Formats: sequence, C-alpha cells, structure tokens
Amino acid sequence: MFPTPTITHWLTLSALLFSIGLYGIFTRRNAVGVLLSIELTLNSAILNILIFNRFVASDDVDGQVLVLFIIAAAAAEAVVALAIFVSFYRHRHTLDVTQANHIYDQGNRTS
Amino acid sequence: MYIQPEIIVVVTAFAVLGMEMFLPPRHRVLETPVCLLGLSTALAAVVYLMIQGDGQFLDGQFLFDGVAGWFKVSFLLAGLLTVLLSADLLNGRFKIVAGQERVLIHRGEFYTVVLFNLVGSMFLISATNLINLYVCLELATIPLFALVAWRRNDPLSCEAGLKYIILGATSSAVVLFGLGLLYGLSGSVDLFTMGDNLIFGPATKLAIAMVVVGVGFKLTLVPFHMWAADVYRGAPLPVAAYLSVASKAAGLAFMFQLFYRVLGNVLLDVSMALAVLAAVTMTLGNLVAVVQTNVKRFMAFSAISQAGYLIMGFLAPSGAPSMVYYMLVYVVTNMVVFGVLVFYLNETGREEIEDYRGLAGTNPWIALVMMLGLFSLAGIPPLSGFVGKFFLFSVASKAGFHWLVAVAAVNSTISLYYYLRIVRQMYIEPGFGDDPPIRASASIVTALAVSTVLMVVLGIVPFFYETIYEQTRDWIAVAEVR
Repeated sequence: MFPTPTITHWLTLSALLFSIGLYGIFTRRNAVGVLLSIELTLNSAILNILIFNRFVASDDVDGQVLVLFIIAAAAAEAVVALAIFVSFYRHRHTLDVTQANHIYDQGNRTS
Repeated sequence: MYIQPEIIVVVTAFAVLGMEMFLPPRHRVLETPVCLLGLSTALAAVVYLMIQGDGQFLDGQFLFDGVAGWFKVSFLLAGLLTVLLSADLLNGRFKIVAGQERVLIHRGEFYTVVLFNLVGSMFLISATNLINLYVCLELATIPLFALVAWRRNDPLSCEAGLKYIILGATSSAVVLFGLGLLYGLSGSVDLFTMGDNLIFGPATKLAIAMVVVGVGFKLTLVPFHMWAADVYRGAPLPVAAYLSVASKAAGLAFMFQLFYRVLGNVLLDVSMALAVLAAVTMTLGNLVAVVQTNVKRFMAFSAISQAGYLIMGFLAPSGAPSMVYYMLVYVVTNMVVFGVLVFYLNETGREEIEDYRGLAGTNPWIALVMMLGLFSLAGIPPLSGFVGKFFLFSVASKAGFHWLVAVAAVNSTISLYYYLRIVRQMYIEPGFGDDPPIRASASIVTALAVSTVLMVVLGIVPFFYETIYEQTRDWIAVAEVR
C-alpha cells in the first residue's frame, strides 16, 4: 500500500503546481491561458496555506478562513481580468498577448 | 473607535454611487463636490485622531497609531488631488484632438472605484492580521486595474489594463505564496505573533524574496517595473497620477507591515539585498528617463527612480520616519508635476517634452509651479524633496552603506539633468509663436495651489519631520528589540 503522505509530499505538490503556473504565465500567448496559469499559481498558494494549517497550526482555523477570503479575492480579480480582456478583444480582435505592443510603438513613432 | 475616517470614505463612496443611479445626468456634476467633501472630512477625522493619540478597535484587529495616521493622510491627499485633477476630463473640458480618445465617462463609478481603492489602502496600514492584510492589499490593487482600463473606447487604455492586470495578478499570486510560507514558518496569522515566532533560515529567505516581488510590483522596483512605462502611457493621466502616488504608498504600507512587524528581527539579514535592489532601481530608472521624449513615460521612469531612493530607508530600523516623511513629500510633489501635465494635456493635447517650450511665456505661474515641483523631485535644497532625500541618505550612511550613498548622489545628479530638460523647454526655448495664455480651470488651480503650498511648507517647517519622528518610535522599537 501507499505510505501516508507527509507534509513534504504535500509541499512538493504545491511547489510543483506553482512552477507549472509560472511556466504557463511565461509561455502562453493567449491572455486567457495566462489567466488560467495565474489561477493555478493562486491555487497552489491556497493549497500551501491549507497544508500549513493542517500540519503546523492544526488547532485553529485561521488558515482555512484566510483561504476562503483568498478564493473570493481571486474571483474578483478574474472578473476584472475577463472584463479587460473583452474590451481588449473588441479593439484588437485577438487575445494574443504578443500583439499588445501598440503603446510602445506609439511612444516611439513620435520621437 | 478609531475607524471613523474609513467609515466616512465608504459612506461617501456609496453616496456617490447612489447619486449616479438616481440623479438625472445633468445633476451628476454634484458628485464631485460630494466626493471632495467626504475626502476632506475623512482627512480632518484622521488629523483629529492623530491629535487624540493611538488606539485600537475590534480587540486589536485594527490599530491606529502615528505611522498609520501619516499614511492615511498621504492616501487621502492623493485621493483628494486625483479627484480634483480628473474633474476637467469628467466635465468634458479638454481639447479634442483627432485620433485621441480622452474623455472619462461614468463619473459616479469612477469616484466609487477610487474611493474603495483608498479605503483598501487605509485599512492596509491599520491591519494587524494576515487575513486583513491580504484582503486590503487586493482591495488596494484590483480597482486600479479597472481604473487603468477605464477608457474602454481607447485601445491604448485597454492594452495598458491588460498588461497591468496580468502582471498584477501574477505578483499577487507570488506574494500570496510568500505569505503562506510565512504563515507556515510561524504558525499564526497575527502579525505580531508571526514576528515573535519567526527565525531566519532558507525558507524565510524564500518567503521574503516572494513578498518583495509583490511589493516590488506595487513600488515599481527594478526588475518588477516593466509595467510602469506602458501603463502610465496608456492610462488616463489622472489615473496615472493616482497610480504613481497612492499605489506606491500602499506598497510602502504593506512593506512597513511586513518588514517591521513580521520580519523585524530578520530585517538586518536582508539589508544587503535591499541595498542592491535600491541601487539597481534608481540607476535604471534614471538612465532610462534621460532618453524619454513622452512626459508620461518620463514620469514613469522618474517614479521608478524615486522608489529606489525610498527603500533605502529599510536598511536600518531607524529609517521608518524618513520613509514616512519622504512618502508624504513624494505624494504632494508628484501631484504638483502631474497637475501641470494634466492641465497642459487637457488644454492643448500636447504630451511630448519638447511641446512644453515657451510655457513660461504663456503661463508664467504654471511654469513656476512646474519648475518648483521638478526641482523638489530632483532634490534642490530649499524644497521638501531635498530634506526627504537627505534623511534617507543619512539612514543608508548610518547603516554603513557608503557605496549606496555615493550611487544615490550620482543618480541625483543625473536626475537633475533630465528634470532640467523640461525646465529648459519651458524657460529657454522659444514658444509656439503667439500662443495666448491658457486659462486653467478652478479645479486644476485648487489642486496646484494646495499641493504646491504643502510641498514648500513640508520642506521649510521642521514640525512635520519632528512629529513623524516622535510617532514612529514605537515601530522602530518593535524592530530593534528583537
């Protein structure tokens, strides 16, 4: 049978999730893909806090409360992000983040 | 109860939102005075509480002391001046230039978002709990994304919002991971208990590094500054002004909370890293600012280099008063400069540095105010910017970082060069022919007058620095005892 997972296993899992999320943020070209990767990093941080709550400070629920607040804040962030993506798409007809270079171009055209 | 200023701001926010819902469009102009009244009352309440002395609310979950008071004064001043600067754009008073989308819409919602963001910053410095701290940090960040992308018909504004939210959400995820590590290392969410339990080790280093990423994003420290130039360029100019002061002050408040309360006993172990960060930030900000031609990008890099000076105060525990003082000075000084930029962009549609030529001929008072603001940013002696920089440099020098003081002094000289470029355009270069003087609107004149007077008074009257020094003693004591 499998041995019971210890805190090290769980922390490794959350660190892996975090790394995968960071990799996604840096490599995805679609803004929605980037947002998904950001959510992955956020969730790895949430998992991290839950692990510590379970293994380090198991006699209180502060970590769980913190996690609930984080989930709410992350949802708010996602809403604003999607709204901005929609308005960006209406102008550019693409969500490719490598196409978001008009500000720099305009700054240099006048010089 | 020490929460009155926040309550006043929240009530104002809802009042403005309600007015937007129920008033006919032609009466919505009234929202501006209501907003100004609410912010002024909140400012008065903060000053009253500061005279009353320290206190706490909700069993110590909300702490009001001198440092919190000064931070709240900075936030409210920034909010007040932003409301004044944005009034012209909301009223539709600006020159229409083809190819530029510049109107600001939805007055009530705009004010509400600004006010909620202010409340987040104000709670941030008073929080004593990790949960409060994180929620307030998000409240001080997320509304800014919406503000940057406020002109949804302007492609540049949307693009700036896209860049800002991707980097902002990433940095918030990273800072959250760091906070989670700190929670795990100390086993508590109370900031003071965390500080007592924390010992320095490799995991602490990782946590500090991750937290610094988040703070660096808000404070525009190199290498987390990438968003600044593009976002300032694409955002509506009053929003850029607000970003450059209030968001930065919120970042500093967050850094104060973590570095003095949680990491107080390990602060000296990371001072070398902070010194390098400060040196890189100010050098890169200054060098890139030299070659800028657009005033918005120029101010972005100027703000980056100012952040480099600012974090020099963390090199010694006794640096807290100089940072609080410099933050206050920076808020009013930057608002002076941004006030002139908003005025000139609104009235003429010009935003290149060379477009400022001949401003002293058409509007001598505005040019004088702009010159004073730029000199204060550069740190010319009688103005408050010099005093603030002097205290920060002396902190670094007392902590033994003499090389950093040398770097900072060289950087100040470089910054003088590029600030003087605008002064040269205004005073020496011939103007656009026979331009008539530009009439400034009442709101711009008020904003410029208030911020200029404060800028000069802060530098000349020693009362402010002495009071701040007295009131930050508790914070320093917490850090030094450990």
